[in-house]
Amino acid sequence: MINSSPITSWEGAEAIFTFADSPMGMAVCFWVMTAMLIVPLIVSYNAEEKAEIEHQ
Amino acid sequence: MTPEEMQAAIEALQGLSSTNMEIFYYWCTGIMILIHAGFLMYEMGASRVKHSLASGTKNILAFAFMIPTFYMFGWLIYLGFWQGFTYDPVWGEFGLPMSAIMGPNMADQATGVFWGAFTLFACTTASIMSGAVIERIRMASFVVLAVILGSVVWNLAASWGWHPAGWLVTEWGYHDAVASGVVHTISGFFALGVLINLGPRIGKFNADGSANVIRGHSLPMTITGLMLIVVGFFGFIGACVLYNYGVNGGWVNIYGGPTTLSAYSFNTLMSVAGGMIGCYACTRDPFWMMSGALCGIISAAAGLDLWYPPLAFAIGFAGGYIGPWAAKQIEKMGIDDAVGAVAVHGVCGVWGLLAVGIFLGGYPGFSSWDGFDIPSINMTGQLVGAAVMIATGFIPGYVLSWLFNKAGILRAGDGVQRDGMDHELEGVAYPEEIRSH
Repeated sequence: MINSSPITSWEGAEAIFTFADSPMGMAVCFWVMTAMLIVPLIVSYNAEEKAEIEHQ
Repeated sequence: MTPEEMQAAIEALQGLSSTNMEIFYYWCTGIMILIHAGFLMYEMGASRVKHSLASGTKNILAFAFMIPTFYMFGWLIYLGFWQGFTYDPVWGEFGLPMSAIMGPNMADQATGVFWGAFTLFACTTASIMSGAVIERIRMASFVVLAVILGSVVWNLAASWGWHPAGWLVTEWGYHDAVASGVVHTISGFFALGVLINLGPRIGKFNADGSANVIRGHSLPMTITGLMLIVVGFFGFIGACVLYNYGVNGGWVNIYGGPTTLSAYSFNTLMSVAGGMIGCYACTRDPFWMMSGALCGIISAAAGLDLWYPPLAFAIGFAGGYIGPWAAKQIEKMGIDDAVGAVAVHGVCGVWGLLAVGIFLGGYPGFSSWDGFDIPSINMTGQLVGAAVMIATGFIPGYVLSWLFNKAGILRAGDGVQRDGMDHELEGVAYPEEIRSH
């Protein structure tokens, strides 16, 4: 289990999102998201290339 | 009532007002999604059967990629580049993806709501380009171009001309209340830059340069989609006004200047009607009649907070003539804009900016930010703004698509175009018996 909570009490809580107190945790999520945007584009390019060859 | 009680009552009212503002804005964002439902129908209907799913998929992917990329860097650009190309780290920090307010935060009810609305504006820019390039652009390259347009280019222009401290506003008095320039002109001219490098669909032009009409497979779907875009525009336009309790005594435009919701209601409807009738009168074409609704509202959008409603109608009507005329000129230049996006958004957007200069000169500027004096509305400011919007849209669209074209990843090959772009996807749009053309 990952303890991602930035708070231990709701009293005076502000940023409550996962890893709000962990720059490393946020950075990992950010770069995972970036990869999740780039990989589908590469997959799409590959599918397009295949279609180009099949329909020449 | 004691002074302390009075103060407490005022603060309670301000809190309630702020909450109402966020609710209003939140639902404007929801309504704006109808623009994308409309663009989806519009583009699929305007495509031939063999390309229809690819057109729809392209539209949906633009929407989907815009959201995370606008989170990653789009909001940051809008907040941080109001001075030009110089980054302001003080304001930019509020848009950093690792900022404490860029996620659930009990001390900040507003950031996510405003970010959401601006994200939907970004999605709109991508959808505008999307229609122009159907039936031959490669999917992945389109998505990259859409991200550059929606999460970099338009919001840079918006930071300059759609921001209380933007340099176009504070130095030139540029007035563009509902984004004739910062959304429509930018997107239309970005699309033009892409179209020049992308080239026409196979069969669009004959050897002598004359153009053929390539009909989409469902005009009813296209017309209904356009009507949905009009519905979605009410969300778009609603998200261009704010309720700023205690500052101007009520609603303010995107610059913080005083306005009313009534102004937007009057002039939105009047300009939509003017555009429809104008386009119908000059073309008698149902496609253009509904595109005329967009011509009308885009033509009136920059001054939507100030028009006398019959003047909004007339400006929309003129837009209804300008749109189809501009589309013909673009076609004569050998450019294949499949849905007239450059004409409707780019050219009518410029007309909207100039109309403000022609008819609204002398309205005093109003600054909601201390230390900034906004000049009165004037023609020079509108001309400078229009030139900046055209260049800011066209140059990156042209340069990027030129690079993609050189790399051979911009345009689908003749074989794929002949057999149908849908062959790159899993699934079919229609049963075999109506899939042949």
